[in-house]
Amino acid sequence: MSQAEVRKGRYKMGRLEKKNTLIAYSFLAPNFIGFAVFTLIPVICAVALSLFEWGGGDISRLKFVGLDNYATIFAAKKVAEKGIGYFFGRADLGIALKNTAFYTVVTVPLTIVCALALAMLLNKIRGAVFFRTVFFFPYVSSMVAICVCWSFMLMRNGPVNQFIMALGIDFNKGWTADSTMAIWSIILVSVWRNMGYYMVLYLAALQGIPRELTEAATVDGANKWQQFLHVTLPQLKPTTFFVSVMMVISCFKIYDVVAIMTEGGPGRATKMLVTYIYDEAFVKNRYGQASAISMVLLVIVLAITIIQFSSEKKFSND
Amino acid sequence: METSVHGREIRKDNPVLRRILRVIIWILLIALAVFTLIPFFWMISSSLKLDREVFAFPMRWIPETYHWENYSLIWERVPLLTYFKNTAFIAVMVTLLQTLTSSFAAYAFAKLNFRGRDVLFLCYIGTIAVPWQAYMLPQFIMMRSMGLYDTLWAMVVLQAFSAFGVFLMRQFYRSIPTELCEAARLDGLSEYGIWARIMLPLSKAAIATLVIFTFVNTWNDYMGPMIYLTRDMNKTIQVGLRRFIQQYSSDYHLIMAASLCSLVPVSVVFLCLQRYFIEGIATSGLKG
Amino acid sequence: MEGALDCETDNISRTMTEEEPFMKKMLSVLLAAMLMMSLLAVPALAEGQVLTVVTWDTTTTPYLIAQKEAFEASHPGVTIEYVDAGTGNEYEVKVNTLLSGGDTSDVIMLKENDQVVKWQSQGFAAPLTDYIADYDMSGFVGIEKNYAIDGVQYGIPFRSDFWVLFYNKDLFEAAGVDLPTNDMTWDQYAELAKKMTDKEKDIYGTHYHTWLSTVANWAVCDGKYTLADGTYDNLLYFYKLYQDLEDYGACMTYADLKASGLKYAAAFENGNVAMLPMGYWLVSTLINDIKAGNASLNWGIVAVPHADGVAAGSSFGNMTGAMINAKSEQKDLAWEYISWLGGPEGAKATASVGARPAWVSEEIADAMAAVDGFPADDNSKAALLPVSVAMEWPVGEKVPDIKTIVNEEHSLIMAREVTPEEGIEEMNERVAELLK
Repeated sequence: MSQAEVRKGRYKMGRLEKKNTLIAYSFLAPNFIGFAVFTLIPVICAVALSLFEWGGGDISRLKFVGLDNYATIFAAKKVAEKGIGYFFGRADLGIALKNTAFYTVVTVPLTIVCALALAMLLNKIRGAVFFRTVFFFPYVSSMVAICVCWSFMLMRNGPVNQFIMALGIDFNKGWTADSTMAIWSIILVSVWRNMGYYMVLYLAALQGIPRELTEAATVDGANKWQQFLHVTLPQLKPTTFFVSVMMVISCFKIYDVVAIMTEGGPGRATKMLVTYIYDEAFVKNRYGQASAISMVLLVIVLAITIIQFSSEKKFSND
Repeated sequence: METSVHGREIRKDNPVLRRILRVIIWILLIALAVFTLIPFFWMISSSLKLDREVFAFPMRWIPETYHWENYSLIWERVPLLTYFKNTAFIAVMVTLLQTLTSSFAAYAFAKLNFRGRDVLFLCYIGTIAVPWQAYMLPQFIMMRSMGLYDTLWAMVVLQAFSAFGVFLMRQFYRSIPTELCEAARLDGLSEYGIWARIMLPLSKAAIATLVIFTFVNTWNDYMGPMIYLTRDMNKTIQVGLRRFIQQYSSDYHLIMAASLCSLVPVSVVFLCLQRYFIEGIATSGLKG
Repeated sequence: MEGALDCETDNISRTMTEEEPFMKKMLSVLLAAMLMMSLLAVPALAEGQVLTVVTWDTTTTPYLIAQKEAFEASHPGVTIEYVDAGTGNEYEVKVNTLLSGGDTSDVIMLKENDQVVKWQSQGFAAPLTDYIADYDMSGFVGIEKNYAIDGVQYGIPFRSDFWVLFYNKDLFEAAGVDLPTNDMTWDQYAELAKKMTDKEKDIYGTHYHTWLSTVANWAVCDGKYTLADGTYDNLLYFYKLYQDLEDYGACMTYADLKASGLKYAAAFENGNVAMLPMGYWLVSTLINDIKAGNASLNWGIVAVPHADGVAAGSSFGNMTGAMINAKSEQKDLAWEYISWLGGPEGAKATASVGARPAWVSEEIADAMAAVDGFPADDNSKAALLPVSVAMEWPVGEKVPDIKTIVNEEHSLIMAREVTPEEGIEEMNERVAELLK
């Protein structure tokens, strides 16, 4: 370490740093060029679009409206009149935000716990190949087929309810048609589908933990649980960071399951941010408003990411 | 050699308890596996039924008569083979490009220091956060002006440079001890050399993960191909699947059959690559 | 972090040459892939004039196939090329995107009534003023006005589906109950549905698909009220009627249907549903399924029941049409096509497969009744010419928003999360807020 510091001091600034930056850019370039052209530029267009009124068509039909789109989606006039309760109780955006947040808060920890538990169980065990494949299966199969299956499973007298009834709980309602249960059916399907996916990530990460570390812990007399807490979990931090950022993002972007299973209903019980965006963009042709809603989503996700990001830095600086 | 000693040590401390624990774990795993597989069982049974039997009350787990012809029907009703070829082409190309470019870029994000790194990285993550529905139209207009509309190439370039791969690889590289890079540098390797000789071999599990994810996501993508591919010769499997769903009638038995067929290639990819999760690689280089 | 700093100190004089074998392999794979790419050349265009028509479900919709054949036969040298733009709601998403990207397809088919308004406002629709001056539109009995904006015609309808009541003759005969007639009131219909219900034999008197239109749209049949008026008290009677039938067990419950996704055609073809109010499009499905041996039942149609004070034979419906893309380079040919499509010749082609053309006349009704597989009784034939057909939804700027609200509250009422009264009050309030 000291040697490095000395060298660092010697070449502190100047040509070498520039050359190093060039090297870094040469690593980035192949990906960044494609990324910039096909993703970043369109995304920047979308950011700008949130300040315009546009129904599609020629670019000449763009009409600059400033923050009007935001005022509309936040129901600014009504909120000023009736208070913030109106926003969360009646405005589409408020309800979509509430539903999406609830869904995210439940789904993310649930999926992470399930995925991590599965990965730990399947890390070194006979027959793991079979189980790993089984748990990854849901992620691999096509969304339509899966959702249709689950809608049927969750029917009033479907197998899930029959199972619940057999446990002695009196529950006799179709999940997707019930205001409180509908969102839980979305959560159930999401966890079921994604736990295998994140399990794979954790499995891959577990391979990266130096065996010396666990061995040292065993020698120190740590039991399995302590080993898990003090060695495995900290070592998995970069992966957990990735998993939680990706999950928060994908939860905030939940669309397919809702579109196929509940269509946002009953009423607005499962209306999510992206179902709302889809509706505004493609059903009502208000691309400006759709972009504005996306910006709300972007801000939330970025805020969460930056918090997670800085805590990651703190961790690696230790 | 070390591991076997270490394993025996643990097993010594309480054999009965360990065995009981193991049985419990197995029961748990089997129960979970059954829970995971039930919908697939229903899928298989539906794929062998007549259309109107699929949703009939009360539900039947075993079809009255087996309609194996559903599996030949799907290949006749739509050009499924063409769809398979197209999807395979897109998925392979995307996976190739994605893995190569993002593992390259991720090295810069994880192990190099340069001006604007964090901002750029947040840009990458930011684009993941914007739903595709919001920027689809600007993207389409641009792609069309490049003459990429209704070509398989469109789907390749759209998905090959996503931020996801960079993010994933960066996280894996970060968990590789920096000391390894340093040692290599002292040995006289360039950054490119470090990437190719140390990072790549060490991140086999990560690359396998990325390959699986990219392949699966591309394989199952629906909205992209739906918008960008129009001619029948260009369509993909997921778009083809929806051809069994129509305005006033949908053939769920055929959808189930076709979905099960489309499961095969992705499962093969998964099975081929999953051995990388077992092969321990972590102890290989730390001593340096 | 520290590691990243250290990397800065690297000696950069070394180059990529060291890693040649690996990079070479990667590069050669990439090059091979690029070569494969270049093999995917664009296919040569067919000779003669090609008219591209954007539509949905192109390979499986019988009337599209029939129309193409008939048009090409009567217009030698012209080829119709369908552009398949998805199915269901995705059709609009895809067409919107295509047109915004500057697509030059010649004809765009209109799936929903309000699409012409949306696409006209975006500048995608070519005005038909010059063409329609000497075009006979009498056969459309006024529905073509839904495609006119500020007096300018933008589209021509070629299909018009109105709602009828389907019934299963076998079940009525087995139960010894008189068949439904063309002039039932809703109360008589409900009574009949209960009469036909047989819980022991698992027979339902009637069947309601999960759409808003199956339960509540009947209120617009009087031709005066529309669902965009902002008051929904007129729907109360129909919700109560439905809930009464559901409570009695005369139909499957909404919650079950929603969860199971049971299709109405399958429900009817299963043979345990006596009646089914549904759009005319089901006729061709039934004819085809029975021909193909996928179903076997004797069925008939009658006019939908009517409310008190509304003439028997009043119904509501939807139309399907075509417009010319403003960017089309062969507008005259496109007009030749859509005018043919909507007119009597196109109507015959449409009717020949059991679909209901927009052009109505005795002659067309005869053609529809003559389709092989159409029920032979007089009542079914009489039901082909409704007294009046109101539009399911009117066309207007706020209509898409109103649709969303009404459908949301509808799903709550149907799932019994709120009473019909509460749901209707909520509709009234939310739509009023929107219209303010």
